Amino acid sequence: MNQSPPRARVAIVEDDAILREDLARLVTRADGLEIAGVADTLAAGRALIETALDVLLIDLALPDGNGVELIREARERLANIKIIVVSIFGDARSVVRAIEAGADGYLLKGAGEQQAEEAIRSVLGGGAPISPAVASHILTRMRERTSSPRGADLEVPLTEKETAVLTDLAKGFRYKEVARLHGISPHTVADHVKSIYRKLAVNSRSEAVFEAVQAGLINLKD
Amino acid sequence: MTLRLSPNSKPRWPTVLTILLLLAAFCAGLLVINATAENVPGRPVTTVLVASTPGAPFRPATLPHWECCSTKPLIFRTTLDDATARADAPAILIVSAHDNARLYVDGVLVGGEGPTRGDPTNWSRRPRLIRIPPQVAHPGAVLDIEVQRGVGFGHLRPIYLGEYDELYASYGALRFLRADMHVATGIIAAFVAAFCFAAGPLLGMRGLMYALGGLAASWALQVIGLSPSDPPWNGTVANGIYFAGYFGTSVFLLWFFIEWTSVFAAPSARRHKLGWLTAPWPRALRRKLGLAAIGAMAISPAIIALVLWNDPAIGSQNVDRICGFLGLAVIAFCLTRVVSYYRRNGFRDPFEASAFIFVLIAAVADIIMVRFFFIYGVSLGAAVMFFPLALLLSLAARARGVFEAATATAGKLNLLVAEREREIVANMEEIRRNERAAMLLEERSRIMRDMHDGIGGQLLGLILQARSRKLSDDALVNGLEQSLDDLRLVVDSLEQGEGSLTGALGAFRARIEPRCEAAGVALDWEIEDVGATPNIGPDKTLQIYRILLEACTNALKHSAPARIGVVLRREGDQIEIALADDGAGFTQGAPAGRGLTNIRTRAQQIGADLAIDSNTAGTRIAMKLAA
Repeated sequence: MNQSPPRARVAIVEDDAILREDLARLVTRADGLEIAGVADTLAAGRALIETALDVLLIDLALPDGNGVELIREARERLANIKIIVVSIFGDARSVVRAIEAGADGYLLKGAGEQQAEEAIRSVLGGGAPISPAVASHILTRMRERTSSPRGADLEVPLTEKETAVLTDLAKGFRYKEVARLHGISPHTVADHVKSIYRKLAVNSRSEAVFEAVQAGLINLKD
Repeated sequence: MTLRLSPNSKPRWPTVLTILLLLAAFCAGLLVINATAENVPGRPVTTVLVASTPGAPFRPATLPHWECCSTKPLIFRTTLDDATARADAPAILIVSAHDNARLYVDGVLVGGEGPTRGDPTNWSRRPRLIRIPPQVAHPGAVLDIEVQRGVGFGHLRPIYLGEYDELYASYGALRFLRADMHVATGIIAAFVAAFCFAAGPLLGMRGLMYALGGLAASWALQVIGLSPSDPPWNGTVANGIYFAGYFGTSVFLLWFFIEWTSVFAAPSARRHKLGWLTAPWPRALRRKLGLAAIGAMAISPAIIALVLWNDPAIGSQNVDRICGFLGLAVIAFCLTRVVSYYRRNGFRDPFEASAFIFVLIAAVADIIMVRFFFIYGVSLGAAVMFFPLALLLSLAARARGVFEAATATAGKLNLLVAEREREIVANMEEIRRNERAAMLLEERSRIMRDMHDGIGGQLLGLILQARSRKLSDDALVNGLEQSLDDLRLVVDSLEQGEGSLTGALGAFRARIEPRCEAAGVALDWEIEDVGATPNIGPDKTLQIYRILLEACTNALKHSAPARIGVVLRREGDQIEIALADDGAGFTQGAPAGRGLTNIRTRAQQIGADLAIDSNTAGTRIAMKLAA
């Protein structure tokens, strides 16, 4: 019974060689994680998601296209895969776009090794990392959609509780504090956030055109 | 309110043709009936003996015979010819006896209506067809026709002797022309009058409509005076009603023609030397004319009643003559106006022209028929019925023209409005684009400035130090981390959530907390929801980030605190942001000079009141600025 559980297979899609190697080293060293493959382009990334993967670390700004496309494809192909966006700024627009495509969380480039490992483990363990800026951005997006002509048929609107949680997260409160404020467990807060992420993705898919327009408008490079 | 009608609806040939065909068919029908009425298949009697009163001596006379002025019976005498005496059903056709007509054969009353004593009854203008009983119809039988007329003058048109059945067709035609149709025109005129009076206020051309209504009502009045058989009033009252209508016809005809030829006059009418006679009358003057016409109609019955009261017989003659002259003068005047109206305006409206032309032709035709062919004139009576109808149609056509013009104008206006709307939307978009472009430009230059102030200087410093080999690896990593931190703060400041500093500081917490944790310092986050802070844009937010980061970095680096607290609260219009630590404070000799100077400069830039309080129990840096 001392057998360790099978290690999670992690793929890395990152065009910057130094960062890619840094991430690869981090994954290799971490317990319970192993490298399934690395890619430096969207095309190479597509080949990677043909294999069995547990985690995909992905950069958005790739030389042959936007990582968002690969996130969407990976989410369709591999239902249980955890997708983590690697972002230099962790800026809300890119992160929210990635979440809409099906990402589960984000990781700041250049974060300390421990911090990065924690982030990966958190996502693997069912966590949903969220920054105040991302929470705030999601709130704005939801509000925009509700007030848009198509808003009335928003496929899955946020519940009151989810909106309340999101609002507090946007103010900079952490999971524990939000949990205390609402009299729920931090775990429940994480569940709410995951639910919000899923809804964001669903609504986004149902609004493919809207999404395309948005993608065209947003051009902040990662 | 006056509805300005522009006669711009062009007559279409099918319409004109239809009107002409209808008129032609109508006239032809009337002429056929008239021919039947006039070509009586019997023996005409034109020479008779006449006795002015019963018992007076007979004297020779020629029919038609007219005699004034008595309501006493007038007796015409002739003898029965051989042919009629031998007929199966001998009969006598009296074309018009106006009132009573009774037939005596050899002194015995055999037919006719009305009492033989007292006032004469009114049998209007009906022809009579009276059977001569075969047992008394022998050649040479003396026929006495007793005529008694309420208006005071006896009048007998030709009489015919012949077979009853052969005479009947002419009798029917005569009855239709002289009585039935007359009543029908009266009823139609009454409806036209009612319509005009009701529609006048609605259509807005009140003068025109009231004048036309008055004209129709006058005609109806004439019919009421003449046509009913034995109405519940006597002959004098019937005469009064008839004369009021007769007078009114002239008055309203005058008013109506002046209205019509003024309202529809071409705007650029040349002044004619006859001036008021032919030129359009101004509105105020027409108004006075209308009031005068109504006034005249109000007092005319009183004058007529007075005249008839004094002497019904002579009075009737005088009123009839005066009204006749007045009518002739009015018709001459109207003709002058109509002619000059058409000279000015030209032919435009088929309905109107048909009405005018119809009346003119009818009047002329009647005069010619009566004067030269001694045939009873019927056209004018029919024309009077159709005249208001044609004019109403003309009005309707004009109104439709106006309606169409209004619709077309509305359509054009709609197009114009739509075009303007598109232009405005385009302009708005242009303005929005320009605003956006200006905003982006401003943002861009601000970011450039921020980069220059922050990361540019830091990187340059690192490069210079590295060149002079004074830079340790730790210092390099430290410096680069600072640069990246600053860059991230720039990004965060641009993403300031919800337009509130609360959200912006929330983002900042995510940046700073890992650092505090790494240093083993607890972060006390006491952030109040301060609501919207429109005065604190991305630029000010970035400076606040930098001040807080600087303060935090200073504290972590130099003061070794156990806790760092960040406070955000609102005091009225002011927002207070403070960072406090429980470290050693600057006074413990830490060289905090450059950091503090930076903080002061930045606070000054964003117009914040800065308070730095440092002692051995810790340091507190607080700033206040407008929300």
